[in-house]
Amino acid sequence: MPPSQLKQLKASLRESGVTGPQQSKKQKRQNAKSGVGAQNRNQRNAALQAIRDRFNPFEIKAPTKQSKFDATTRDGGSTTAGRVRPGVTKSLGEEKRRATLLKEINSRNKVGGLVDRRFGENDPTMTPEERAAERFARESQRKMRKESMFNLEDEEDEFQLTHMGQSLDLDQTNRDDFEAGDLEDQESDDDMSRKRKRFIEDDGDMEDLVDDEGEAKPDRKKSKAEVMKEVIAKSKFHKHERQQAKEDDDDLRDELDKELPDLFEALRGIKQPPKPEPAKQDLETMNPDRAALLQEPEKKDTEKEYDQRLKQLTFDKRSKPTDRTKTEEEKAEEEAERLKQLEEDRIRRMRGEQLSDEEEEDQGQDKGSEDEDEDIDDAMAFGLPTNSGQSRLELGVEDEDDFIIDDDLVETRSNVSLSLDESDMEEEELSEEEEREEPDEEDELINGLTLPTHATAGAASTAVEVDQAANGKLAFTYPCPNNHESFLETLKNVPIQDTPTVIQRIRALHHPRLHSDNKAKLGRFAEILVEHVSYMANESEQPPFSIVESILRHVHSLAKMHPVNVAAAFRAHLRKMSQDRPLSLLPGDLVILTGISTVFPTSDHFHAVVTPAHLCLARYLGQCSANTLADFTIGAFATSLCLQYQTASKRYMPEFINYTLNALCNLAPTEPASELGFFPSRTSQDSIRLSSSKKASPRKLHFRDVVASTLDPQAEEDLKVSLVTTFVSLLDSASDVWAEKSAFTEIFSPARAVLRHLRQCFKSKTFAEARDRTQSTLDKLDAHLARARLTRRPLFLHDHRPLAIKSAIPKFEENFNPDKHYDPDRERAESNRLKAEYKRERKGAMRELRKDASFVAREKLREKKERDAEYEKKYKRLVAEIQNEEGRAANDYEREKRLRQGKR
Amino acid sequence: MPAPVDASAISKKRKSSKNGGAPSSKRRAVAEPDFTETLSTIQDLENQIAESRKHYNNIATLISMLNVEPSAKHPELAVAVSLCRVFTRLIAAGNLTETSRAAENEKIVVAWLKERCLEYQRALMAIMRQADSASQITALTLGMRLVKERTTHLPGADNNVWSSGLFKDIFEAVVEAPAGEDLRSEFVSKFVKEYEDVRYHTFGQISEYAAVKRSSNVLETLIAILSACDEVPAADHEFENFYTQVDTKNKRMASVNSHKKRAQEAWLAILRNNLSQSQRKSLLRIMVHNIEPWFNRPELLMDFLTDSYNVGGATSLLALSGLFYLIQEKNLDYPQFYQKLYSLLDTDLLHSKHRSRFFRLLNTFLSSTHLPAALVASFIKRLSRLALNAPPSAIVVIVPFIYNFFKSHPTCTFMMHRAIRDKQLAANLEAQGMDDPFDPSETDPTRTNAIESSIWEIETLQSHYHPNVAAIARIISEQFTKQAYNLEDFLDHTYQGMIHAELGSEERPMRKTPVVEYQIPKRIFTDRLLEEDGGLDSGAGSFMRGLWDF
Repeated sequence: MPPSQLKQLKASLRESGVTGPQQSKKQKRQNAKSGVGAQNRNQRNAALQAIRDRFNPFEIKAPTKQSKFDATTRDGGSTTAGRVRPGVTKSLGEEKRRATLLKEINSRNKVGGLVDRRFGENDPTMTPEERAAERFARESQRKMRKESMFNLEDEEDEFQLTHMGQSLDLDQTNRDDFEAGDLEDQESDDDMSRKRKRFIEDDGDMEDLVDDEGEAKPDRKKSKAEVMKEVIAKSKFHKHERQQAKEDDDDLRDELDKELPDLFEALRGIKQPPKPEPAKQDLETMNPDRAALLQEPEKKDTEKEYDQRLKQLTFDKRSKPTDRTKTEEEKAEEEAERLKQLEEDRIRRMRGEQLSDEEEEDQGQDKGSEDEDEDIDDAMAFGLPTNSGQSRLELGVEDEDDFIIDDDLVETRSNVSLSLDESDMEEEELSEEEEREEPDEEDELINGLTLPTHATAGAASTAVEVDQAANGKLAFTYPCPNNHESFLETLKNVPIQDTPTVIQRIRALHHPRLHSDNKAKLGRFAEILVEHVSYMANESEQPPFSIVESILRHVHSLAKMHPVNVAAAFRAHLRKMSQDRPLSLLPGDLVILTGISTVFPTSDHFHAVVTPAHLCLARYLGQCSANTLADFTIGAFATSLCLQYQTASKRYMPEFINYTLNALCNLAPTEPASELGFFPSRTSQDSIRLSSSKKASPRKLHFRDVVASTLDPQAEEDLKVSLVTTFVSLLDSASDVWAEKSAFTEIFSPARAVLRHLRQCFKSKTFAEARDRTQSTLDKLDAHLARARLTRRPLFLHDHRPLAIKSAIPKFEENFNPDKHYDPDRERAESNRLKAEYKRERKGAMRELRKDASFVAREKLREKKERDAEYEKKYKRLVAEIQNEEGRAANDYEREKRLRQGKR
Repeated sequence: MPAPVDASAISKKRKSSKNGGAPSSKRRAVAEPDFTETLSTIQDLENQIAESRKHYNNIATLISMLNVEPSAKHPELAVAVSLCRVFTRLIAAGNLTETSRAAENEKIVVAWLKERCLEYQRALMAIMRQADSASQITALTLGMRLVKERTTHLPGADNNVWSSGLFKDIFEAVVEAPAGEDLRSEFVSKFVKEYEDVRYHTFGQISEYAAVKRSSNVLETLIAILSACDEVPAADHEFENFYTQVDTKNKRMASVNSHKKRAQEAWLAILRNNLSQSQRKSLLRIMVHNIEPWFNRPELLMDFLTDSYNVGGATSLLALSGLFYLIQEKNLDYPQFYQKLYSLLDTDLLHSKHRSRFFRLLNTFLSSTHLPAALVASFIKRLSRLALNAPPSAIVVIVPFIYNFFKSHPTCTFMMHRAIRDKQLAANLEAQGMDDPFDPSETDPTRTNAIESSIWEIETLQSHYHPNVAAIARIISEQFTKQAYNLEDFLDHTYQGMIHAELGSEERPMRKTPVVEYQIPKRIFTDRLLEEDGGLDSGAGSFMRGLWDF
């Protein structure tokens, strides 16, 4: 049974020391002297308030919902149930608002104001007398220190506010209370949110209190002087530092200001040489007054100029900051960097790593910046002579020699239209359209005359040269063909040597800059060119390869702009090839396959064109018939291509080895006695073996050997022996390419056997050259094999970290909290958390705002009441005054009346 | 009503004179373009025969109208049909049966009729052998019709007709007809496959026919007919589809066993004949599904299969499945089976078109976990050696195959991962390298020392030119988390299929823009601008230019 309320009250009073044994008079007096009394009083008040609160049942708010099972619920006992004291919190909030919001309201639309930070002003524990005493003590201390008038150091240390070079003499008493920090606080107030500001100010106040009380109070008697010194020294130090920083800032600002004119000029894109300043020196030597007079109008001028510039800037087109022209070294370095990047990309593609999206984006940005570079070059080209030749050399990418493709390269990197050159572009387009309207075919002369002026600036100069160089019979304009037939139609009357010129003119005429449709047209044109290459090679009268080569290079440069079109054209060709004639390739197919090896990176792990091309080659080598010499020649070409494809990536091709060894076995003068390896042997139907009696000399194979033709016996023998040497040298190169393969021995042991057999066959003198070749290849193979043996180690493939055994035990959460969300999806959990936080914050802010509003309303009401009361009071006073006066006047009147009556 | 000529041919005594009349009618038939008239003439003749015996001579007339000389290409089919009707009626009426009690002249008539009937049959056979396919088929149908009538209405003639008589003739005609593809297919589809008794007797005929060595063409035909009979009756099969009315008491016809026995005999007769290599292969190909089910005693196939297995090459591959069937079902003991199997892994295996078939079987043979590890290792090593020279479609099979081996025979995993613990050995290795301990020439798979070796070949294939193949080869160096790969998914790939997978049948929009070589080479074919590089040809394509003139 708890004790009664009265007993409880008494007990708690005694506990908190409010009631205690009576103090003697001496003690009381002592306490009063040392200020303990005031302290005690405060303490007692606080304790009493606490007791009152504790015993007031209305101050405590019961929890809205009684927790039912204290024993089972996790936080049944630990919650603040029963301790919620709305009254207290409310009053706290009220107080805080009064301290911040009210102040703000009051100081609204007002500037300045003083914060009273006099020593001990807001300290309720100090009596006014104590405060006065304290202040006096500090003052006198300061005086004491200042007494030595020769203390220069101190004087210098002293921080003085100045304005326009004159010291701001503040009142001596206020001086040491002033803190620069306060000013700064005031300044930054506006920027800060209200809430935050509240905290800051609270903190500031608290610090002040701590500074003053915490240090000063405990041992006030002993070390007051020292403490004060310390405090002051500290504040001075801080002041000094702040001042220093401010000065630095000012210096910096000045410097920046000085550079402002330069900046203006830079903005306008014109770089002027630094202005000579001769006049200034004159001014310095002059009479200052006169100098001032002289400078006066100048100032006005500058202001005027400033205004003008400002206006100019506002009306100016928005200009981009230009990059300065790069030096040769920088350009070279950049180019090297770009090439390195490209090479790295290639290697990554070779390994089959995916370029991540981020990197692609990065690349995109890179390209963007490159774009801009190129743009600027281009833009300059309109005013300045183009340095395209130079830049081409630096690019290291030698393009179509007679045609400036640099413009092309710009376009390939991005499809963004060039906003800078829009006006120029429009002009060009206009002229182009005019040109279109002119009859194309009819009036060649006019076209010839007009073209150079109409052509793009980059192409113009070179185009003229080309026109002059080529024979004058060529037309200057050609329509961009839509299909191969129309292209053939176009080329019908053109000598084959001029085909590249025609292509170049078509490209120049349909430059994508000139018309928006041209991009699509050129894409189609690129496809046609691919078709044309194979068409040309398939023709019975093969054109010179320099023509094919130049067309292929055109295709390549078009491929940079239209990779999809060109790739699609190549793929279409491969598709037709694999469907119609997978095992009997035409010369055109071979040329196309060669073209693929140059246009596309054959080292890629996967490539939309190269991979099928590989498969086509491998299929041919693996399954083709090998009966005639022409078959073997095509095979030799295909095997060389295979090796060419693999020069960079060094991937292994079983079909290559099979075919080469089989071909060698078939061509060797005598049949090998036993099976020489695991490669499948396919013997040709009619013997194509070298006859050991005839003399034959090997030569370099020619592409026309691919086309089967009847040869005289001697030429046939020559072809055979050259095939043998070619295959041998292919094996030679292959052994270099695949030297690092772990199964090198297994791959090339059969090759060695075959070569030995060949050497055996070539013993007679008729094959001296072939024998030498074979011997040297054999030596190389032997060396490679020996090295392969040396480097061979047992495989060590599974050095993985052992996999963890999958556990089926459910994952138990220790200290599981049902309120917490254990979402395995990290992102979702995060977003949920953020949402909840947002909601909570929002609610809190709303509540705060609502409370603020009601507080403001309350305050306003209070003010109004005060005002009203004041008014009332004033009114009453006035009324009373008037009445008073009236009364007096009435009295006077009465008296006068009485006097007059008395007189009478 | 009867024409004057017919009237004159009434008497059988004037048989000889009627012979003179027949050509005239034939001539008339040829001369007269009116086809309907010919038809009506035939109809009249036929009706007369049906009317009375007096007109039997019309039969002779009709036969002569058949026009079956070798030179004549178009026999008179209408005549043949009507004759068939005539004989059917006669047989049904019993006019072709001799009764002992019959009068002498009756016997003479019957004998004469029989003679005519034989003559008619010969004519039909001639048609089947010589005429065009439509006539052949008609003749076949008519012949079979006669067979049916004979077996139903001439009691006792049953055996006679099937084994030696008319059916034998028909069968031989069918087999030997020079241009008889249609005829044979008709025979097979309409009679042999349709009617079980026809099939039964056909089997008999075949075994009889193939008892002597025949030419390969004929054998081809026989095989075609036999292999067409692919519906082997189940043990409790009830035979119901008979062409002729079969005596229910006829046990032989009703039992499955006797049918199968006949078929077995037929097949054996063919297998013992001198088969060509390709026939042997095709037989082996259908062995399991078409031939073996017919056999009551499959062990009879043993000789054929072992012979084929020893031939080597593709034939061995094909014999394997049949042999496996025998080993599995009939407990055939095949000494050194695995050694033989190992020897089958030769150069051409992976390029052969029976590759997937072989791999399916090989998978079965090696699926036992009780096989010695050394043996499995030999197979693994041998396969990986072969993979080094194999087309991508074969590599794609081999690697998962090897993976499965490693999974089921963990002892073999040393071939992928071998840490050298012995310091001495490691130092040796460091100094001298090593040779492959595997002995490829050893024929006994348990002694090849393959388990001491490593599969460098597969590791090399991880850099195969085809990205998918390389990716598959890479599974052996990753953790073996998958239980097993399903071989079926890897078996039937081809170059064509792979190219198609890459290119598709038509251009689709590409997911990624293909990368283009950033550097345009100075020269592709020619020596253009060579002096600019100091005369030294390097860069892209220099390899090709070094080997070829363009």
